[in-house]
Amino acid sequence: MRKVQMSVYTLEDMLLMENMHEGDYDVAIVGAGLSALSLLHSGGAALGRTVVLDYQEQVGGLLRYLLPADGFGTEWELLRDFQLPPGVSLLLQTTAVGLLPAHDAEPTHTLVVRRRQGTMQLRARQVVIACGGVERPREHDAIPGTRPAGVMTPVLALQLLAQGYLPGRRALVYGDSRYALATARRLAEAGLEVITAAPTSGNGRSVRLCGTLEEICGFPRLTAVRLLCDQQSVEVEVDTLIYATGLLAGTHWLKGSGVALTAAGTIAVDAHYRTNIAGIYAIGTVVRPGLDHEDSVRMGKEVAALLPGGVS
Amino acid sequence: MEMTSIDLDVDILVIGGGVVGCAILRELARYDASIALLEQYPDVCEGTSKANSAIVHTGFDARPGTLEARLLAEARQLWPEVIARLHIPYLQTGALMVALNEQEQATIAREIVPKAAANGITLQPLSRAEILEAAPYVNERIVGGVLVEGEGVIDPFWTTRAYCEHALLNGAQLFLGERVNAIEVGRRRLRVRTENGKTFSAALVVNAAGLWADEVARLAGDHSFKLTPRKGEFLITEEDHGVAQIILPVPSEVSKGILVTPIVFGGVLLGPTAEDVSDKRDLATTTAGQQRIREGVGRLVPAMTTASTVRQFAGLRAVSSTGDYIIRPSTVSERLLHVAGIRSTGLSASPAIGHYVGTLVAETLGLRLRTSYREALPEPLSEATHEDGEVVCLCRSITRGEILAALRSTLPPQTLDGLKRRTGAMLGECQGNLCLPRLIALFQQELGRDPLSLEKHAPGSRLLVERLRHLGSVPAHSGERPKRGQ
Repeated sequence: MRKVQMSVYTLEDMLLMENMHEGDYDVAIVGAGLSALSLLHSGGAALGRTVVLDYQEQVGGLLRYLLPADGFGTEWELLRDFQLPPGVSLLLQTTAVGLLPAHDAEPTHTLVVRRRQGTMQLRARQVVIACGGVERPREHDAIPGTRPAGVMTPVLALQLLAQGYLPGRRALVYGDSRYALATARRLAEAGLEVITAAPTSGNGRSVRLCGTLEEICGFPRLTAVRLLCDQQSVEVEVDTLIYATGLLAGTHWLKGSGVALTAAGTIAVDAHYRTNIAGIYAIGTVVRPGLDHEDSVRMGKEVAALLPGGVS
Repeated sequence: MEMTSIDLDVDILVIGGGVVGCAILRELARYDASIALLEQYPDVCEGTSKANSAIVHTGFDARPGTLEARLLAEARQLWPEVIARLHIPYLQTGALMVALNEQEQATIAREIVPKAAANGITLQPLSRAEILEAAPYVNERIVGGVLVEGEGVIDPFWTTRAYCEHALLNGAQLFLGERVNAIEVGRRRLRVRTENGKTFSAALVVNAAGLWADEVARLAGDHSFKLTPRKGEFLITEEDHGVAQIILPVPSEVSKGILVTPIVFGGVLLGPTAEDVSDKRDLATTTAGQQRIREGVGRLVPAMTTASTVRQFAGLRAVSSTGDYIIRPSTVSERLLHVAGIRSTGLSASPAIGHYVGTLVAETLGLRLRTSYREALPEPLSEATHEDGEVVCLCRSITRGEILAALRSTLPPQTLDGLKRRTGAMLGECQGNLCLPRLIALFQQELGRDPLSLEKHAPGSRLLVERLRHLGSVPAHSGERPKRGQ
């Protein structure tokens, strides 16, 4: 945990390593999830000299581990057919760790990013924050009980399946978003016995149990969860809990940047996805952290039309 | 004694790899003797040592005349050198004890200040205005308080590992995942068996088994003391609201109360509760406990009532039937030495407990100091982190280089929680749900660990149950696949 100063690479060094543009970018997009892909798809080459960076080793954000899936047709099409527009540099396994907005002495925004080779800086006239977020774990909601193995969010379960491992034998998926239910189906297909549960929400999607998660039981491995169903405590014996209640906007790296957040922790934007800082936009989950990513594709499309130099 | 093959013959065997056991191991490593430590969990620092306030406490409120008070006082002198030699991250924050009414203010003057004086510590009285100026986040309704200057915060995991690594550097042996289930007391030697079927023989055994020390004693036929678990629940917030000091309430008859404590690496720890429980494995957090914490800290730092939490946990302290530390030979043999009932001050007193027990053992066995002894741990390697700057833990910006350095260290993690504590990975908002598969892959790559065998923390906490039988069936949808290289 002790932080050690890492070697700082200049853009010139990076040019030798990657096929990148010299000098400043017109647009830097933080994140290569759905909203970013939608922006690139709509904006294309008209965005100008663009760099896209993402923590993951592939594009598509957290949903990449689920897609293709029923009910995610639009998202899957976008991902499946995605082509990197000409003039756009894509830096994968590259994580933004800081943002220094433009000021009098420096008219472009600076992104501090980390990757294998070290820390580097990227300068851009416009920055689109499309970094999404992370899934809300049980700890965030302070669900009482033990801390056994077998409690996870969908993205962990889906990654483990993709790596060829079963995360458990009998799972309760807690949440009734289309993402939660698609995760439940995927687990069932892999051979797990799956029970779906959620608090009564009235969104029309059906789960097997209606109830509020009250307690996590068992140690060292999960043995059961308790739900409050109709004022009755019901114990469900499972060895796996998929906690699928939502996302948290990924804004921790913006601390000290001056980018304003809402009380809910999302980035505050106006109707045109502009943050409080000129030339810095935010779209997707980091603005609206619904687990279903319903708005991401639309937001990307809309911001493409709004960016100076963008297409309408 | 029956004839069984001995897997390891040593002069001294320490049972228990908590902060106390490891501090003792480190002190014993000074002597010309063969030493080993057995720990039931796959890592050190898994019991009481792992879930506490992480405070290096001065002992200002210890009961004067007790062994606990004496060792806390000695530890105050030893800490600076321990921290420097073992390179342990430490913050001397000081502690503010705040009185919420005149009655509490009177308790401070009448009981707290004289008791501290008896323990050799001068408390600095502060007015309401002085406290609010130094700590504007404190409840405005306070009437006054005192500053305990010497209190600080440390990382208990780092401390325990550092003790252990220092001992290993000086020739000690460590056996993880070895739970003791039988002790045979002979006239000259003791035999200790573990659940894995290993047999150890030693001239002297130190029982530093924490909460289980009474059960270890019973294995040897010693029923002289009993330990009961007292649960303390905590919660962690990353909203620090400027908290830079430890904020203490005026203690009541039963408890030191619920505190607000800065964490050495950032964030704030709230708690603990104090609840006597019967099950030594009951580490569950409860709605009632979390509520009590919120109420308690709300009186000290109102903003903490609603601060968002990233994690909650519970620890169990070992409360002894005697009311003081139990550091003495067993009733069945001089060669079995109990170090038990260390309650909640084990971390704070650990350098002195180590020194006290080390001296005691050396006298008992007539040991001499080793001629070659390395006084300090090497400086933590910084080059390792240069190797690969790719961020693996997104929430905490922990790089692959940092993970690799931990996996290649003297005391590498055996579990995912072990890796978490060594690097800080998985401690952020998502609690590891995003990066855990990457960490599993690094465990496999570096230590050759089969992912199926990898555990979260305790034995039996495997994360994966089996390999998928039909790899091709996931994902099994439209048959379309994303294009490569995008």
